[in-house]
Amino acid sequence: MAFFILRRVGVMLLTSLCLTFIVFFLTNLEPNLEKLAKTQGNARMTDAEVTSWLDRNGYAQPMVLRYGEWLGVLPGWTREAEDGTVTGRCIHGTVTAETAPRFCGILQLDFGQSTVFREEVSSIIGTRLGLTGILMFWVMVVMVPSALIIGVLAGMREGSRTDRALSTFSIATTATPEYVSGVIFITVFASSAVGLKWFKGSAASAMDGVTFENFTLPVLTMALYGMGYIARMTRASMAEVMTAQYIRTARLKGVSFPNIVVKHALRNALIAPFTVIMLQFPWLLTGVVIVETLFNYKGFGWTLVQAASNNDIELLLSCSVVAVFVVLVTQLISDIGYVYLNPRIRMA
Amino acid sequence: MSSTNPGTGIHHAARMFATEHLAGQMSRREFLSRATALGVTSAAAYGLIGATPVQAQSERVVPPMGGTLRIEMQVLAQKDPRTYDFTQLYNALSGVLEPLVEVRRDGSFAGLLLESWEVNDDATEYVLNLRPNVAWNNGDAFTAEDVVANFAGWCDSSVEGNSMASRLAALTDETTGKIRDGAATIVDPLTVKLTLLTSDITIIPSITEYPAVVQHRDLIGTVPSDHFVGTGAYRMAEYVVGVGAVLEKNPDHPYWRDAYLDRIEFVDLGTDPAAVVAAAEAEDIDMNYDSVGEFVEIFTAIGWEPSEIATSSTVVIRTNQEAEVDGVKPYADVRVRRALALAVDNSVLLELGYAGLGIVANNQHVGPMHPEHAELPPFEPNPEEARRLLEEAGMLDYEHELISIDDDYRRNTTDAMAAQLRDAGIKVTRKIIPGTTFWNDWTKYPFSSTNWNGRPLAVQLLALAYRTGEAWNETAFSNAEFDETLAKAMAIADHDKRREHMRRLQEIMIEEGVVVQPYWRSLYRHVRPGVLNGERHQGDIVNVHYLGLAE
Amino acid sequence: MDPLSWGAILAQMLLQFTPVWIALAVTLGISRAYKRRLGLYGKLYDSGIGIAGFTLVMFWVYTAVFANMIITHEPLTVISGMKNALPGSPMPDGHEGYGYYLLGGDNLARDVFSRMVMGAREVLKIAPAATLFAFMVGITLGLPAGYFGGFLDTALSFIANLVLAFPVILLFYLLVTPEIVATGIPTYMAAVLFLFPIAFLVVLWNARFFTQPMVRNIYVGLTLALGLWLYSGLAFNADPLGVVSMPPNVLIVFVSVVFVNAPTVFRIVRGIVLDIKTRDYVAAGQTRGEGPWYIMLWEILPNARGPLIVDFCLRIGYTTILLGTLGFFGLGVSPESPDWGSTINEGRRLLSIYPHPALPPAFALMSLVLGLNLLADGLREESLKD
Repeated sequence: MAFFILRRVGVMLLTSLCLTFIVFFLTNLEPNLEKLAKTQGNARMTDAEVTSWLDRNGYAQPMVLRYGEWLGVLPGWTREAEDGTVTGRCIHGTVTAETAPRFCGILQLDFGQSTVFREEVSSIIGTRLGLTGILMFWVMVVMVPSALIIGVLAGMREGSRTDRALSTFSIATTATPEYVSGVIFITVFASSAVGLKWFKGSAASAMDGVTFENFTLPVLTMALYGMGYIARMTRASMAEVMTAQYIRTARLKGVSFPNIVVKHALRNALIAPFTVIMLQFPWLLTGVVIVETLFNYKGFGWTLVQAASNNDIELLLSCSVVAVFVVLVTQLISDIGYVYLNPRIRMA
Repeated sequence: MSSTNPGTGIHHAARMFATEHLAGQMSRREFLSRATALGVTSAAAYGLIGATPVQAQSERVVPPMGGTLRIEMQVLAQKDPRTYDFTQLYNALSGVLEPLVEVRRDGSFAGLLLESWEVNDDATEYVLNLRPNVAWNNGDAFTAEDVVANFAGWCDSSVEGNSMASRLAALTDETTGKIRDGAATIVDPLTVKLTLLTSDITIIPSITEYPAVVQHRDLIGTVPSDHFVGTGAYRMAEYVVGVGAVLEKNPDHPYWRDAYLDRIEFVDLGTDPAAVVAAAEAEDIDMNYDSVGEFVEIFTAIGWEPSEIATSSTVVIRTNQEAEVDGVKPYADVRVRRALALAVDNSVLLELGYAGLGIVANNQHVGPMHPEHAELPPFEPNPEEARRLLEEAGMLDYEHELISIDDDYRRNTTDAMAAQLRDAGIKVTRKIIPGTTFWNDWTKYPFSSTNWNGRPLAVQLLALAYRTGEAWNETAFSNAEFDETLAKAMAIADHDKRREHMRRLQEIMIEEGVVVQPYWRSLYRHVRPGVLNGERHQGDIVNVHYLGLAE
Repeated sequence: MDPLSWGAILAQMLLQFTPVWIALAVTLGISRAYKRRLGLYGKLYDSGIGIAGFTLVMFWVYTAVFANMIITHEPLTVISGMKNALPGSPMPDGHEGYGYYLLGGDNLARDVFSRMVMGAREVLKIAPAATLFAFMVGITLGLPAGYFGGFLDTALSFIANLVLAFPVILLFYLLVTPEIVATGIPTYMAAVLFLFPIAFLVVLWNARFFTQPMVRNIYVGLTLALGLWLYSGLAFNADPLGVVSMPPNVLIVFVSVVFVNAPTVFRIVRGIVLDIKTRDYVAAGQTRGEGPWYIMLWEILPNARGPLIVDFCLRIGYTTILLGTLGFFGLGVSPESPDWGSTINEGRRLLSIYPHPALPPAFALMSLVLGLNLLADGLREESLKD
C-alpha cells in the first residue's frame, strides 16, 4: 500500500510538472504577453512600448528560464535601471533589492504576484478558495444526502413506479447544465417578471454572510447537476445488492423489508457511490466557474476566469496547480477508499 | 463651492465670449467652459452674462454630515495616475487624490488645489495661484514644488502610456521628451508660472482630466495604492481589485474644506448590468456608476432617481478607404461608401443600439451641440439607391466584414447596422474583437465601429479624425478641398463666420460617405432617493467629497 | 393586430413544426413495422424510455434539417419596434411576411423562435461530428494501447490522464482565445487530430483486405483521396477545389471539444480491449495467425460496440453541454450565431425583466440532452438483453 501511494504521488508530481509547463507555455506565447503588457500599461501602447515594457518586467528572457524561476530552481531575474534602482522577480512589496532572496518560486512557497489584483497570489487564492469552500460545503450537504436517498429509494425495488419516476428525474437533472438550471431558477424565483421573489438572484452579499435567501439558488443550481449522476450510480449499486444471495436469504428468513434495506443492503450499496462522489469534485470545478459567474459570487471560479481573461500568468498557474491538485488528490482518495471498502480488490 | 476669489482681472476674451453668449451665438455651457478656462471664476462668469451666482451654486446642495454610501463601480488595479485609462481608477481614489482644477456639470472650471489662475492675452503665460493651507495626509504642506514636480511628471513622454504628455505638448521639449527648461517655474511657495512657446488655451481643460491628479512631489511615478498619500479628506481602508474599496474619513488629517460622508464603499459587481439591478433591488448599493440602454428604464422603475447628461460622445461606423481586403480596396470607391450610409436608418441604430437614449445624428460628426454647426437637411436612408450604387460599382455581391469591440452599445449598434445592411440586400459578416486587443489596430480595420468622446468644437473633431494623414484618421480620408476648407475654418474665431465653411465641410462628409454616425449619446446614472450630489458628470467623475445622504 | 394568446402561440408553433411531425411519423411508423429486422435499433422500440429518447433526439435532428421551412423570420433580421417584444407580439404595421414574433423578440429585435430553431442546426452541425472525431482518435489509440500494453500503453495512458487532469474550463480559456488562434496552435492541433480518422480507415481497410491487394488498393486509395481532400480543407483551409472549409472560430471550438473528449474515449476503449483480449476467440484468431490489427479492428471492436454506442449517445449530449458552456463564456463562437449557449448568455443579462429570450434555447438544450440520455439508457437496457 505504501508503495502504491508513493508511486501515485510520484505520478502526480510529474503530471503537475507537465501541466504547469503547458499552462506556462500557453500563457507566455507572444500574443498573450502583448495582451498582458497592454492591460498592465495602457490599452493603446505602441509596439515599441510593449517591447520595452516586457523587457523591463523580465518577460524578455527565454521561456524555459522563466519557468525555472517560477518553479524556484533558477535564481529570479534582477535588472538595474539607468538610475540605479534595482528591480527583479523577487523584489516586490516590502522586499528590497538587498533583502530579496535569490530564489523565489513555488518550491520556496512563493506563488508570486498577481498582475491584475496587485496582490500576493497566495493570499488571493487563500481568500477565494475559502469562499468557494463554503459554497462547496453547502452543495455537498444538499447534494450527497439527497442523491443517496433518491438512489436507494429507486434501487430498492427495481422496475417499480417509484424507480421509473426517480430515474427519469435523475436523468433530467444530468441533462440540465448549470447555466440552464441557473437561468430558470433566477427567472422563476428571483425575477420581477414572474414575481415570486423568494430568493436573491445575486450571491454577492453571501460573501459577507450566508443566508437562506442569497445562497439557496447557487447551491441548488450546482447540486442539481451533480445529483443525478450520483443517484444513478447509487441506484445501480443498490439494485445489484438487492439481488444478491444474502439479501434473498434474509428475506426468506422473514426479516422485514425496511430492516433488510437499512441493516443489510445499504452499507454494501454505498461503496460504489463513494468513489463516484470523490470523482465528482473535479467535475464540480467547472460548475463552480459557471455558478460563480452567474450569481456573482467571487470565489475560486471567478478568480480563474479573471486570471484567464486578463492573462495573469502567475495567478493562473497557481489556479491550475490548485485545480490539478484537487483532481489528482480526489482520484487518489477514491482509489485508496475503493481498496479499503472493497475486500475483493487487492493492490499489488 | 464657488467661494474662490475672482482673479485679478477678467480676460478680454471672456468679455468677448459673454457678448457672443448674450447675442445667442454661444450656449451657456460653452460660454462658462471657455470663460472659466481663462481664469474667470464661475461666479464672475455668471456675473458677466447677468445671471445671479445663486444659479451658479444651484448645481449642488449642501448635505448634512455623516453617513455611509455604497457605490457600484468597477475597482481596477491601480497604476501610475499619468497612465490612467479608465475614470474608475481616479474615482476610487477621489477622496484621497485631488486635481488642480475640476470641470463641473455645467461645463465651468473651478479650482480645487488651485485657488485661481490668470492667463495672459495670447495664452502663452499662465500664473497658477495655489490654495493656501492645503496639507498632505503625511503631514507635509502642499506647495509650488508639488505642482512643478507634477507638471514635470506629466510632461515625461518616456513613461509608457502617459497620456498627459500629449495633452501638455506645449510645455514639452520635443527633443528630450521631458518638460522644457523654464516651462514651469516657482514664483513663490504658493505661485507657479507656466511659460509656453506657442499659444494654447487647452492647458486648463487638460489638467482637469482624470489622469491629472496631483501626487506628492516625492511620489511622482508611484502607484497611489501602495501608499495612499494625498490631500483628500479620506483614507483608504480597503482596496481589493475586482471586489471593492472602502474610503473612511481621515480623522488625523485637516482637510481644506468640508467633506460630508463618513464612509464610502465602492462595490465591484463586474460588467453585467443585470447584477447591478439585482444588487440595487436587494438594497446592497445606493448609487450605480452607469445606467446603459434598457437599464435606464429598469432602474427608474424600481424607484431610483435618474440623472442625465447630454454629450457629444458618439459612435461612428466607418470604412477605411485605403484598407486592402484580399488585394482590393473595397472602400476606395465613393459609391460603396455612400451605399453603406444610404442602406441604414440611423434612428433604428439609436433604438436598437442605444435604447433610443440620445439624439439621431446625420453622418457628419458635427452636431447641434457644436457652436459652429450648420443645419443641413436631414439624412434620408434609401436602400434602393444603395443597391443601385453598389450594382453600378460592381460590388453588390461583395461580402463585407464588419468589426466591433465586444461590449454593450458598440456591439449592439454594429449588430443592428449589419442587420440593416442585410435587409438592404448587402452581404455582411460580423467579427467581434475583445477590448484587450481591439485598440491594437483600430485605425486600420477595413470596416468597423469606433466610439469617440466629445470635444467642445466641431473643428477639433474634424481635424483630429478626418484631416489627411492625422494619427487618428481611421478612415484614411484624404480630400484636398476638405483639408483646405478646414484650415480656413480653423483660422476663424467667430462661430458665425466659421459656419459658412462648416456647411461645406459637413456637405463633403455626406458626399464622400466618410462615416455612418448614427447618434449622439446621452449618459445616465441612478441613485437611491436620498443620495445627494450624485448626478452623472459628463466626464464620469465621481468626486466623493461632494456626496452626501439626506437625513 | 392583437397579440396572440398563449394557446394560439402554441398552436402556431405546432403548425410551424409540421415538416418535423411528418418526418417523425414516417420514421417511427416504418421503423416500428420492420423492427424485427433492424437489430439493436429495432429493439429500441421495445423500451418506452428508448422510444421517448429517440423521438426527442429525432425531433431536434429534423428541426435542424428542416430549419429553413420552420423559421418564421430570418434569424439575423432586426425589425424596429420589436425589441424585447413579448411572445405573440404582432409585427408593426407595414411589414410583409409572417405576422408575429411567436416567442417574442430579443434585445436586438430578432425573432426568438427562429433563432432557437436555427440554433438546433448550429449545435447539431458540430456536436455529433466532434464526438465522432473524438471516438476515432480514442479508438485508434485505445486499441493498440490495450492490446499491446507495455511502454506504449504507459505513455498513452499518461498523456490521457494529463489531459483529463486539466479542468475543462481552464483548458477552454487557454485554447479558445483570439491570441492563441493568432499563434496558429489550433491549426497544428487540427493537423494532428484530423489525421486519426484517415489513419483509422486506412488501417481498417488494409487489415481486412491485405490478402486481396486489388480491393485493398481501391479502398485505401479512395479513403486517402477523399480523406486528404477533406483534411486539407478542414485543417488548413487549403482545399484545392475551394469547396470544403471551416471558419477559424469553428475550427478551434471543434478541435478543443475533440481534444477534451478523446482521452475519455481512449480510457473506455482501452478498458474494454483489456477485457476482451482474454476471450477465447481472440486467442483462436492469434493461433490462426491473424495480424494484430485485424484482430483489434475486426474481432475486438465489433464485440465492443454495445458500450461504445451507448457512450457515443451520452457523449453527444455532453458535447452539446460543452458547446453551450463555451457559448456561455462567449468563447469561440461567431458573434451573431444563434447557437443555444450564446443565446442563453445574451438573454441572461435582461433575465429579471425579459426572461423570454433566454428560456426557449435553455429548454431546447435541455430537451436535446435529455433525449440523448434517455436514448443511451434505452440502448443500454436493450443491449444488455443480448
